Amino acid sequence: MSHISTAEIEELKLIMEDGFTDLIDAFVTDSENKLEQLQAALQANNPSAVRELAHSLKGASGNISAQPLADIYRQIEKIGKEGSTDGVAQLLDQAHNEFSAVKNALENL
Amino acid sequence: MDESVPLKVLIADDNQSDRLILSAIVKKMGHTVFLAEDGLEAVEHFQSDKPDIILLDVMMPNMNGQEAARKIKELAGEDMVPIIFLTSLQDAQDLAACLDSGGDDFLSKPYNKIILQAKINAFSRMRLMNSTLQQQRNVIRANNEHMLHEQQVARAVYDNVAHAGCLDLPNLQHLLSPFSVFNGDVLLAARKPSGSLHILLGDFTGHGLPAAIGAMPLAEIFYGMTAKGFNMVDIIREVNVKLKTILPVGYFCCACMLNLNFRQKEAEVWMGGLPDFYLYRAASRAVEKVPSTHLPLGVLSSQAFDATVRILPMDIGDKFYMWSDGIIEARNDDGDLFGEQRLYDVFVQNKQPDRIFQEIIDRVTTFSGDSGKDDDTTLLEVTMVSEDDIGQAAIDLESGAVVGPTDWRMSYCLRGETLKSFNPLPVMLNILNDVPALRNLSGQMYTIMAELYSNAFEHGVLGLQSDLKSDADGFAKYYAERQAAMDTMESGSVQFDFDLVPHNGGGKLTILVTDSGPGFDYHSKINNIEARSASSTQPQSGYCGRGIPLIQTLCDSIQYKGEGNQVEVVLSWPADEV
Repeated sequence: MSHISTAEIEELKLIMEDGFTDLIDAFVTDSENKLEQLQAALQANNPSAVRELAHSLKGASGNISAQPLADIYRQIEKIGKEGSTDGVAQLLDQAHNEFSAVKNALENL
Repeated sequence: MDESVPLKVLIADDNQSDRLILSAIVKKMGHTVFLAEDGLEAVEHFQSDKPDIILLDVMMPNMNGQEAARKIKELAGEDMVPIIFLTSLQDAQDLAACLDSGGDDFLSKPYNKIILQAKINAFSRMRLMNSTLQQQRNVIRANNEHMLHEQQVARAVYDNVAHAGCLDLPNLQHLLSPFSVFNGDVLLAARKPSGSLHILLGDFTGHGLPAAIGAMPLAEIFYGMTAKGFNMVDIIREVNVKLKTILPVGYFCCACMLNLNFRQKEAEVWMGGLPDFYLYRAASRAVEKVPSTHLPLGVLSSQAFDATVRILPMDIGDKFYMWSDGIIEARNDDGDLFGEQRLYDVFVQNKQPDRIFQEIIDRVTTFSGDSGKDDDTTLLEVTMVSEDDIGQAAIDLESGAVVGPTDWRMSYCLRGETLKSFNPLPVMLNILNDVPALRNLSGQMYTIMAELYSNAFEHGVLGLQSDLKSDADGFAKYYAERQAAMDTMESGSVQFDFDLVPHNGGGKLTILVTDSGPGFDYHSKINNIEARSASSTQPQSGYCGRGIPLIQTLCDSIQYKGEGNQVEVVLSWPADEV
């Protein structure tokens, strides 16, 4: 599966026009921040914080059509919603990897 | 629907990318965008920027979307501010909770530009419709308040008209419906200078102000002409013409007019278009029904109008009852009508005559029950009493100049057929009332003039003897003879000569009444006048009448002249004390 959708990115470019680059930059910066916070929340064993952060990351990823990445966050969110942090560590690793791939894809547009 | 109207859109989302994308979409539609990062900011921006539409994320820190939605809807009050929740929630209950909190719609992620645009447009139309309705409602409300105010003013004017007069006389009891402005009920009462009492109950067709407006000219004619001493027949005729002229086709006034003559113990009645009224006989406790025999007022032209009155003898204690159809048509909770039978039963079952009036009211009130708020009852009871009990008429003629003519002479002569059918007293009294000093003596002046006139006409021209007028039977015979004499009278005249001059700072009025009769030997009768005033039951021929003692007290002198067919009366008054 591709990390981002070319068609949707094109649509986004049409909507954002000159603001497209700002959007991508904002996405990258915001994701990096939130991933760090997510790590901290996991270590603090805080399921509700985990849930909120994962929810936010999920939304942001979906907005730029990074569907596989969004799906990983969705799974993390679900665990957090159930009041646990079991299995989040692995998913977080997957997220990191997928995020790198998405960054790559965005740079090569 | 103008979809190109730029709106103010508030976008509240804690995610920067969401804010950026949504902003871009909405700005491209031509709208203005305001941004907020959490629920608190959303509420603040709502108050400061007054957005037309709000896009609200559900999950936000500090205050979530649902809480913010609640607060915003509260602040918006009557105005419609659509809130579209931005959510990736799937659960039906979660979505429903969003709408319950005040949200109007959802937009799910990922954002579809076309759908967002369509939703914004749809809500924009709704907003406009709501705003239009509010404006229309405000206009209607203002108009309604205006109308209510006008009605209050109309009511105040109406009450002055319909409530004036002497309805508070001791021998009258009345109830005027509180809805009289709207149901067209009128109740008027006034005394003539001669002491007789005129009463008029009117029931105008229709409802509302059109029904009530006819009461104004009717009341003016009634009070004006009664105060001047006009007969009931003349008044009812005048009212009919007036109403026929001013009322639109299909509008008329059912009416009953009554003239109570306390001296002759009888009532003249004219009734048109009303249900039967009752005459209660004190002695026998019987009830006579008095029906309407005419069409209502305002229907027939002058020529076709029939002013024939019916004469009802009334002993002291007899009572006449009149009402508008509000009583008969009062309904109870089951929708039954009160009806004529129940009304009649009140009279039949009554044990104390002076409680009849209250019993009628009580019976109707009890019958109407809870629907008594529609209490639409107009009712009057008038009792025949003695002249002493009712006293003199206090005529209040407010019209008239402060200064009047002080030096004039006038001659008025009625002849032949006119003498038979026309009463000159109101006209002459009107002229005398131009003299301010005489205005206060209006009642007494009327009595004097009536006395002089009846003597001149009945004894002088018709040649009747006055002996008969000493008891009730005698009165009846006398009037029969009077009618017979009038029928056979071929010629004759009565002339009034007035001479008014200034006198010692005030004035002096000389009235000379000349009739066409043969006169009589008055030289020998002079002494009889003093003797007669001592005892009014002694039959006397020649000069007779209750007015003589009055004339003597009021006037400087009274003397016969000529062949005895002339009487001269002089009265004077001092200067006004200002």
